[in-house]
Amino acid sequence: MDLITQLFPWITNGPLITVQVMSGLSVGMFLFLVSVGMSLIFGVTRIVNLAHGSFYMVGAYLMVSLVEVLPDRPWAFWVALLVAPLGVAALGGVIEVGLLRLIYLRDPLMQLILTFGLILVISTLVLLAWGPDNKSVSRPEALAGSVSIVGQPFPSYYLLVLGLAPVVAVALWLIFYRTRWGMLIRAATVDREMLGALGVNVALLYTQVFVFGSWLAGLGGALAAPTVAVALGMDGDVLTTAFVVVVIGGLGSFAGTFISALLVGLLQSFGILIFPAVSIVLLFAIMAVVLIVRPWGLLGRPEA
Amino acid sequence: MRGWPIGSMRCVSALFVLSIGIAAAGPAAAQGKPIRIGEINSYSGLATVYTFPYREGIQMAVKEINDAGGVLGRPLEFIFRDDKLKPDEAVKAARELVGQEKVDFLAGCISSGVGLAISAYAKEAKTLYFATHCQTSRLTWDDGHRYVAHTTNNVNQYIRALAKKAAAMPYKKWAHISPDYEYGHNVWEEFNAYLKQLKPDVQVVQQNWPKLGETDHSSYITALLQSGAEAMLSVVWGAQEIAFVKQARPFGLFDKIKLVSASVGNPDELDPLGKEAPVGAMTPGFAWYDEGMQKRHPKLAEWVKKYEERVKKEPTLGASWGYASTYLIAEAIKRAKSADTERVITALGEGYEMEFPWGKVIMRGCDQQAIPPQWTGFVKMNAQGKPVLADIEETHGKDLVKSCDEVAKLRAAAAEKKK
Amino acid sequence: MLGARGLVVLLAVLALAPLVLPPFFLQLLTEIAIIGLFATSFNLLMGYGGMVSFGHAAYFALGAYAAALLVRKGGVPMLLALPVAPLVAAVGALAFGFFIVRLSHTYFAMLSLAFGQIVYTVIFKWKALTGGDDGLLDVWPPSYLKSPAAYYYFALAVVGLALWALAAIVDSPFGYALKAVRENPRRARYIGVNVRRHQLLAFVISGLFSGLAGGLFAFYNGSVFPDFAYFTKSFEPLVVALLGGVQAFGGPLVGAFAFKVLEWLISRQWPVYWPLFLGSVVILVIVVLPQGFVGLFGRRPWARSAGSS
Repeated sequence: MDLITQLFPWITNGPLITVQVMSGLSVGMFLFLVSVGMSLIFGVTRIVNLAHGSFYMVGAYLMVSLVEVLPDRPWAFWVALLVAPLGVAALGGVIEVGLLRLIYLRDPLMQLILTFGLILVISTLVLLAWGPDNKSVSRPEALAGSVSIVGQPFPSYYLLVLGLAPVVAVALWLIFYRTRWGMLIRAATVDREMLGALGVNVALLYTQVFVFGSWLAGLGGALAAPTVAVALGMDGDVLTTAFVVVVIGGLGSFAGTFISALLVGLLQSFGILIFPAVSIVLLFAIMAVVLIVRPWGLLGRPEA
Repeated sequence: MRGWPIGSMRCVSALFVLSIGIAAAGPAAAQGKPIRIGEINSYSGLATVYTFPYREGIQMAVKEINDAGGVLGRPLEFIFRDDKLKPDEAVKAARELVGQEKVDFLAGCISSGVGLAISAYAKEAKTLYFATHCQTSRLTWDDGHRYVAHTTNNVNQYIRALAKKAAAMPYKKWAHISPDYEYGHNVWEEFNAYLKQLKPDVQVVQQNWPKLGETDHSSYITALLQSGAEAMLSVVWGAQEIAFVKQARPFGLFDKIKLVSASVGNPDELDPLGKEAPVGAMTPGFAWYDEGMQKRHPKLAEWVKKYEERVKKEPTLGASWGYASTYLIAEAIKRAKSADTERVITALGEGYEMEFPWGKVIMRGCDQQAIPPQWTGFVKMNAQGKPVLADIEETHGKDLVKSCDEVAKLRAAAAEKKK
Repeated sequence: MLGARGLVVLLAVLALAPLVLPPFFLQLLTEIAIIGLFATSFNLLMGYGGMVSFGHAAYFALGAYAAALLVRKGGVPMLLALPVAPLVAAVGALAFGFFIVRLSHTYFAMLSLAFGQIVYTVIFKWKALTGGDDGLLDVWPPSYLKSPAAYYYFALAVVGLALWALAAIVDSPFGYALKAVRENPRRARYIGVNVRRHQLLAFVISGLFSGLAGGLFAFYNGSVFPDFAYFTKSFEPLVVALLGGVQAFGGPLVGAFAFKVLEWLISRQWPVYWPLFLGSVVILVIVVLPQGFVGLFGRRPWARSAGSS
């Protein structure tokens, strides 16, 4: 016990642990919101959408523009938060119908490579449209400050995320398990050919899923915008982490994504206290271990 | 598809001939024997926020110089290439510029890795390379040689200015947050060493090394809050520092711990931060708008006005670097009375000084390293509610930078390690 | 078809190039040859083996760093250090490939990416050995190989030999078995082919030649940096192979030529637009030209096998 306290002097520091856990949870919730769209798209269409980070970035940039254009009132932020993801969803729809549909009978790996091409295209278009300068969005007045938790300040904005993410998770669950559309989606993940044979317009379903996944990515970006810099390069930052999260959780399982997002968030929080030197390698190492031992992730479904 | 058996070979040969044709046409376009400088930097992607204004500074200086008759009666010409932030692309661009475009000199860099790679190539190719925007001191010190010069300050200078002011503050317990790569380590080590030298009772209570480009710093922030530090150095920069500051504010971090930052005073960080800027933070920066600065440097306002008319934007530190680098290169050529590499190196070796709208820049002969003025100030909100730097203290790098003897020792130590 | 005569003409053109071309173009051709080798060895896995790896830059980097470390820290001359590069890369490919080939398809790709990023991170962080993000500098060939023409011939010779070996492998019983595995693994197993072993061996061979390309590149560039292992570098042989055509042996080489020339032409004029152009080309190739450039103009010119389309 003494050895442990010597190695980890913070371990008896209750407030520190509490706040680290809370911040780890809120990071995890953020990661969930950002990653679940990617997991969803893969689950149904078997495409790993590498442009997911780019959609996140566009969502954040749209947030910046909307907040600039709207009058400086308390409701402006919320309106922007509502509209920005719709813009990204539209972009996703255009890409799906215009490009992905052309090749969807092909190997999903080819589609994956196409999404890699999209990353390059979208990042240049963002630079041309918004310019090279860093941009920023402020938190809404109501959530700009902090609340006190065990005597420690904790940003109010993170409470929004902590609250919103489970709501989104429950909403997704309701959609997938309690609506007809959701049933069709689940059927498509199991056997899309059979579904097509039963007369369902699978192509339309795919488009809808891709649009929905893009919307989620845009929502992630719009929500994140007030807490980070909206700048070129943010697509790459989020892509690698989201990728690791969905692989560990299981591509296609959004419950898996939820759990793995929380785990990764907590790991990042405590990783810097426990293993500062190796925390970067740790994520990829865990991803590798999961892929070796249980490729379909914590809660994913083994490939048919 | 049949019937085109050697079609692809034809296509490929055509492409080959076309590319040679274009390449051959290239250099011939210049008239009147200009002095050509091949500039390699990051002109695509996320570094453009720095390199675009920097290039404007160069082009402004080139126009001024050429309008005034050029250098030794010859026009100055910059040829730009993109290194895509990759050192091997930079070497490739350097090879093309030297071997194909036949430039007289090489210039440029923003990433230290790129600067070091070009410098190694320049030594091999015996072409003089003027490093500009990148900041590692290794360029002219540990890995220095006669074919490389550095036209802006290096990390050592501006960090020592910052550390000197930090030593004057009453804080004893320090922490830091620095990105885990060469630049981050370099800056922290310089700051720590000089601070301890000036104030031996300083204690480092916590070190934080987020990865470069980390988006979420909450765990570091909460750790800092528990660290017991009185002051901290932030070495994270650009988008990462904006994220860090935005995340730290609601935690009340800067109320508990005094923030000293290596770069938050730059407009690419201050402007987006806006109302969320860390008021009271101490940081270096090019505060051309400051009344005190303009009083000390009467020509500054005019320079700024000229820049704004040209570029329709406010200047940045990088813009001043592009401008100064161009003039420093031109001056070396003037003093050599020739664009011949060896003669220019000799002129550099003798050292010289130049006056700029913001003060005197010394080009030191022993290491071919530029030494400009240093400004350190505090973040404040101006009357319009925009964050700016104020209470600027101006020093000069010459009072801070390592001496020629210390540099010689560094070079010897590095040479030993290579054996 | 290109055939023997065409090959002789091509070799003659390449051999006489230094008499006609300025040094920079020789260097460009050298780079094309090296990347062509990297892409061709990558294509052994992709086109012939049906396995797409997203972490191949790891083996390229292992080769480059092995050679660079021997020269810089071991004082070993280049001609002795270079052969070690492919061996080190092969060991890495064996160690990682053992796990990677047990997966298929998307998971194969993702695990290869994960291992690639691990290699990158280790190189980046192990500063004492690798120099971290400062890289290792002054990794030059000996003086008699330093001139652009000399290194051009040297690289061309090494690449030529390697390609000849790869071509032989592709045409050998092993190569045919590999193609059978690609087409239908279950059936291949039924006729007695050890699927896993074939895939692993292909992976190791691919890693070996990628490492050789890495070693050649280290001396061409004069320095090595951690981003040689980053996933964006892993996409280079993939794009190049796709561009040229993955179903022909010579496809990746054609792709390397087209890619490098286009990159040079466009990046010097409009650097901001290069990523846009590259991304668009990738998208275009996938949507419109599944056979790559080679497929655009008819049958694969150097097809050595009746690889089915």
